[in-house]
Amino acid sequence: MRKSWLPVGFLWLVYTILILALVKYVNVLPTQWAEEAQVVDEAFLLLMYLAAPVMAMVLAVMTWGMIAWRSDGADREDGPNTHTNRIVVTTWLVLTSALAIGVVINPGFIGLAEIRGEPSSDYVIEIEASQFFWEVTYPNGATSFDELVVPAHMRVRYDVNSTDVHHSFWVPAFRVKIDAVPGITTRVFATATAEGSIEDDINLRIQCAELCGAGHAAMAMPVRVVSDAEWNEYITSIGGSG
Amino acid sequence: MKYLVRAIVFGLVGYVSGVWLTLAVRGGDPTDEVAVVFGFILALLGWLAGIGGLEAFGRQWIGKTPKLSEDHTWRRYFQFSGDHKVIGIQYGVTLFAVLLIGGLVSMIMRIELAAPGMSIVDLEEFNKLMSMHGILMIAVAVAGIIGAFGNYLIPIQIGAADMAFPRLNALSFWLVPPVAIGLLSAPLLGSFDAGWTAYAPLSVTNDSGQILFNLALIAFGLSSILGGLNILVTVITMRAPGMTWGRLPIFTWAGFATALLTFSVTQFFAGALTLITMDRVAGTNFFGPEVGTGILYQHIFWFYSHPAVYIMVLPGLGVVLELVTTFSRKPLFAYKTTVGALLTIVGLSVVVWGHHMFTSGMADFLHGPFMILTEAISIPTGVIFLSIMGTLWQGKLWFRAPLIMTFGWLFNFMIGGITGIFLADVATDIYLHDTYFVVAHFHYTIVGGAIFALLAAFFYWFPKVTGRMYNDKLGSIFAVWVTVAFNFTFMPLFWVGINGMNRRVGDYPEAYAAANKFASISAFILGASFLLFVGNMLWSAVKGPKAGANPWNARTLEWQVSSPPSHHNFLSQPVIVGHPYDYGGDGSPHVIFPDAEEPPDEVSLEEASV
Ligand SMILES: [Cu+2]
Repeated sequence: MRKSWLPVGFLWLVYTILILALVKYVNVLPTQWAEEAQVVDEAFLLLMYLAAPVMAMVLAVMTWGMIAWRSDGADREDGPNTHTNRIVVTTWLVLTSALAIGVVINPGFIGLAEIRGEPSSDYVIEIEASQFFWEVTYPNGATSFDELVVPAHMRVRYDVNSTDVHHSFWVPAFRVKIDAVPGITTRVFATATAEGSIEDDINLRIQCAELCGAGHAAMAMPVRVVSDAEWNEYITSIGGSG
Repeated sequence: MKYLVRAIVFGLVGYVSGVWLTLAVRGGDPTDEVAVVFGFILALLGWLAGIGGLEAFGRQWIGKTPKLSEDHTWRRYFQFSGDHKVIGIQYGVTLFAVLLIGGLVSMIMRIELAAPGMSIVDLEEFNKLMSMHGILMIAVAVAGIIGAFGNYLIPIQIGAADMAFPRLNALSFWLVPPVAIGLLSAPLLGSFDAGWTAYAPLSVTNDSGQILFNLALIAFGLSSILGGLNILVTVITMRAPGMTWGRLPIFTWAGFATALLTFSVTQFFAGALTLITMDRVAGTNFFGPEVGTGILYQHIFWFYSHPAVYIMVLPGLGVVLELVTTFSRKPLFAYKTTVGALLTIVGLSVVVWGHHMFTSGMADFLHGPFMILTEAISIPTGVIFLSIMGTLWQGKLWFRAPLIMTFGWLFNFMIGGITGIFLADVATDIYLHDTYFVVAHFHYTIVGGAIFALLAAFFYWFPKVTGRMYNDKLGSIFAVWVTVAFNFTFMPLFWVGINGMNRRVGDYPEAYAAANKFASISAFILGASFLLFVGNMLWSAVKGPKAGANPWNARTLEWQVSSPPSHHNFLSQPVIVGHPYDYGGDGSPHVIFPDAEEPPDEVSLEEASV
């Protein structure tokens, strides 16, 4: 009866190590351009690490089943008459509940506090979405329809609005996203960490992330991160009261 | 066939008179949405009257005996038949056809997505194709297993002669073809481009095809609600003597759990769509662009549509649990805990909808509770995995097509479940929401969880329904093929999503070209696998070897009667005397037929199919 515990346990260990190694050494995440991106990526990796033993267990049972538990024919013998096993079920419930509680705490609530908290901000930039373009309004009142320029190392609060249907303000490089809802103002914070532009990374763009009609796919706008001084110069140069 | 022809004619007459009446009263254009609404309603009534719904229901209202189709030939499949086995086959064939149409639409989408830039359609047409693919496949996933196999098997598994309300059952099915016709004719009115989610206010302001989407889905909702009610009453009141709740086959339990959901939440989707329809045709302003109540629409919509995910997946769980016990010849591991898990999923599924809305702009204080509740669903889902693995554990695994499909299911659903955690967590969801990561995730749960189970069920119960055996070699090749091609199609889509590609787009930046090309080629190979499946099923239904009553040597009730079962399933009253999955026990049966004159195995096929 116990003869499968050992090989399945071994396979489980091997798969767990393999998956952990994959998560550690194969980077699937794009470049981070904001402090918020670090929070999201950490949460992502933590969940991957926690998922490793769970996936490994299913894979181990499947593998060993295909190798060792094969049998043929409809008239073949029945397997053991085990209806349940209280110890296994209880252990399983305790472990999966503990895992769920763990995930709720971290990255759950810890990530939530960091990503949706209401920190103070250095600047407020208004974003207004319409079918199918973005309008950026800088603190000095200057507006732009063709790019979003943001200062590096400054926490910017984006006040997001829509004039027609729902859109979603998303800068993949910053990892933050909030829907643009007609009639209310939603907000999201992002602190860019390095200077760069869409030439450096395709993810330095605003991409509409809520289906908004025919032009949805094309509803994108380049994002450029510059130094604080350059940024102040830029917004003065395009107008507004300075 | 004459009833079907009559239904089509009455339906068309209904449509024309609805439009004509509207024009007579208020003037305007035949393509005005008000005219379409009344046209659709009268078309639906005409269709139901034509197919025989009036004889079934209307005669009673004027004091006459209601009449159902009594035909025993192939023609009954085209009639208003109350026979649950006929209805199961009607559902199965209709929804499989819808699955193939939805699949073809996805092939067009993958051709367009194979390379950046637009090749065969434009951005707007792509959105319309995407919306059509989405809603057709949702319909298949919602009603596929429960409509086809739920109807066919639940009465037999509990030892009943039919469903509790045969006429209502026929009505549930005959509402489905008009739904498909309505959706597929939406392109005549400019189609709909708001996705299957139909978020307002986009769905209030887009082309008129949206009105057909709304009407068709409201009709589909009615069909689901009636079907759910029927299953609930059947399972509660029609069980054979000795069929206690603790002896109920797990597929029936899963169907019961599903029916609890369809019966109690479908109203919300139908209601939300009714409000949108009112906004479009009656001048109301529930979700108009200027009032900012789009978030309210999302709350109502997801209050149905998150449980709908479980409406799609629970029957699949039932199929898979049923299959692992048969093919490992072991009792279902932790039966009671598993039933508890199914019911816990039902309970939790109605309080987690907010995780679809972490970026919607809803109040921030809702994030925490919805995250906790959503993560909590992983506990009962984990129990299902425990039950599957515990049943397989040291079993006598018989690798036939149904079990190979089940292994494919297990792998896919594991990926789907684990990636779901990333979407339940606020921090990661705020990034991944509305990206291709979500597309890959829900294809792993819905195709991987529901459609793979549907295909496994087709194999497993094929001999029962047709009396003939499919070709298992070809079936096994298909099972491996479809699993590999599915994973090659959707695995790269996780990557493009993580790397910044949003969903529901006909075009994308160059950076995602290679992965999309790979996914497209794999998708074509995935699509091609269905030719093998359909070929195998059609050929075997006609030419396959006779299967006998119990080719899998299974214990549940449907295998103790002839294949296919006789008109009212049982030649004599079954009495349930033991557990359905007591494999390897003392050999005591699940069911006995105390009054049987001869063992059911010896009932000839000719006799049985009468
Ligand atoms: Cu948009």
